[in-house]
Amino acid sequence: MSGILARVGYALALPVVLVAVWWFASAGSTDFYFPPLSRIVAVFPDTWLSSRLADDVLPSLTRLGIGYGVALLAGVALGLAIGSNRVVAAVTEPLLEFLRAIPPPVLVPILILVAGIGDTMKVLVIVSGCLWPVLLNTVDGVRAVDPVLADTCRTYRVRGGRRWWHLVIRSASPRIVTGARQALSVGIILMVISEMFAASSGLGYAVIQFKDGFRIPQMWSGVILLGLLGVLLSVLFRIVEHRVLGWYHGSRDGPRER
Amino acid sequence: MRRHLAAFLLAPTLLASAACGADGADEPAPGQPDKVTVGVIPILDVAPIYLGIEQGFFDERDIEITLEQAEGGAAIVPAVVSGQYQFGFSNMVSLLIASSEGLPVKVVSNGNNSTGVDGEDFAALMVKADSPIRTAADLEGKTVAANTLQNIVDTSVRQSVRKAGGDPTKVRFTALPFPDQPAALASGQVDAVFVVEPFQQAVLAEGGRAIASSYVDAAPNLTVAAYFTSQQLLADNPDLATRFTEAMAESLSYADSHPDEVRTIIASYTEIAPEVIEKLTLPTFPPEVNRESVATLADLALEDGLLSKAADVDALLP
Repeated sequence: MSGILARVGYALALPVVLVAVWWFASAGSTDFYFPPLSRIVAVFPDTWLSSRLADDVLPSLTRLGIGYGVALLAGVALGLAIGSNRVVAAVTEPLLEFLRAIPPPVLVPILILVAGIGDTMKVLVIVSGCLWPVLLNTVDGVRAVDPVLADTCRTYRVRGGRRWWHLVIRSASPRIVTGARQALSVGIILMVISEMFAASSGLGYAVIQFKDGFRIPQMWSGVILLGLLGVLLSVLFRIVEHRVLGWYHGSRDGPRER
Repeated sequence: MRRHLAAFLLAPTLLASAACGADGADEPAPGQPDKVTVGVIPILDVAPIYLGIEQGFFDERDIEITLEQAEGGAAIVPAVVSGQYQFGFSNMVSLLIASSEGLPVKVVSNGNNSTGVDGEDFAALMVKADSPIRTAADLEGKTVAANTLQNIVDTSVRQSVRKAGGDPTKVRFTALPFPDQPAALASGQVDAVFVVEPFQQAVLAEGGRAIASSYVDAAPNLTVAAYFTSQQLLADNPDLATRFTEAMAESLSYADSHPDEVRTIIASYTEIAPEVIEKLTLPTFPPEVNRESVATLADLALEDGLLSKAADVDALLP
């Protein structure tokens, strides 16, 4: 218990110091574009804990959730298919590397042509960025299946769905989770970017509107909210990761200590 | 090949310097000319300042201008307030909001006005040829594209809706750059667009029709945009501001009385095709800000909730 408290303390120490520095350094600021932190904090509740929660925050998170979910499912499915077949992998790899190297924001104008300016476009932007880390990590994970385990499965005639689930997916899961973690941060960035084009709701949209309306403290509060959301999502991710990969962390920590 | 590339890259620079050098750059002015940077948007509204530079109205007053092109007024305001630009061009509603939020901006010259003629303005609220929408009141529950939100465009469109008997709070706005709007309208992604020239010609060419001249609906002979500076510059160098105002007034009058030269100069800083330039409806360029129209805009912006409190129009205008 005290161990957890200490870890929370370590994690919070630097942010607390930095926020304090920001607070006091900006206290007397008269610069219109860099208002005192106290003013930003003061406008925060009125700005976000009102109708904007339903009008902007919720649509953003919904689009992120759908886009991330689709990318996760598609990435793992395609990754399993590609990773388990040497020929398919050899043929698709150069193409995948090329597609991955395209920065998703430049796809926005093309996606607008294909999918319009509605939610579909915004979800597709998120998918187009989140897919690659998941897919490529899954491919690597599948390829790195322990040959001894694979042979054991063959010997015991573990085939079909059971082989996929217990051998392939399980062996690849640490890499899949790594890909999923990278995809999450990419997804948050793309969520904001997609809302800066042709939007009428969302966090990115709200921040741009505050900027255009010269409501600078509100704009900063939006930036802070985005940061907080990022932290919250990564904490959630860690909790899920610990449950899913408990066996893996256990098997790695086990022999080393205790 | 490489030489071709260099020529290609240099051409615009040379053209630009040719356009600016009407009075000769090497003719030393008495004293030192003030070097100023002005933030403008590359649209026909700013033709007078290009013409004024070409005609030497700024040189005569010892002002050496560099024009910087920006995306929109909201991007120019911070640059002017921080002193990066000495003057800037912005639509009137953005300036009203900036000023009421406490930004130290001050209008120094008129920019451009609507023609004041319904159905024959340089901007229009437009729909597709086969759209069931007949008047602005039919826009309730529909989506309208505007270049950016919270500026003169959505304020004016809401007034068109109000004037036609509709409820402007029921209209949805989507921010979409002008060049993307004709395609978005044609493919049905938005129900209506508010476009300025030359995009008005693009929508017309696709068979679209205008349902309102929103700038005309907002106020008679509306001042759409203005040139502004910071209170800081006004305090430090009031003489420069005065000379800029005089040069702008002369440029505006010149532009207003020489529409053919306006059309010629537009070709130098925009990519509009010559055959389209001939068809464009030009804004008017009166030298004085239409104060009454700005007061009306302030009232409309307050009613729409763009302003949190009534704007001090006299503090903003010269």
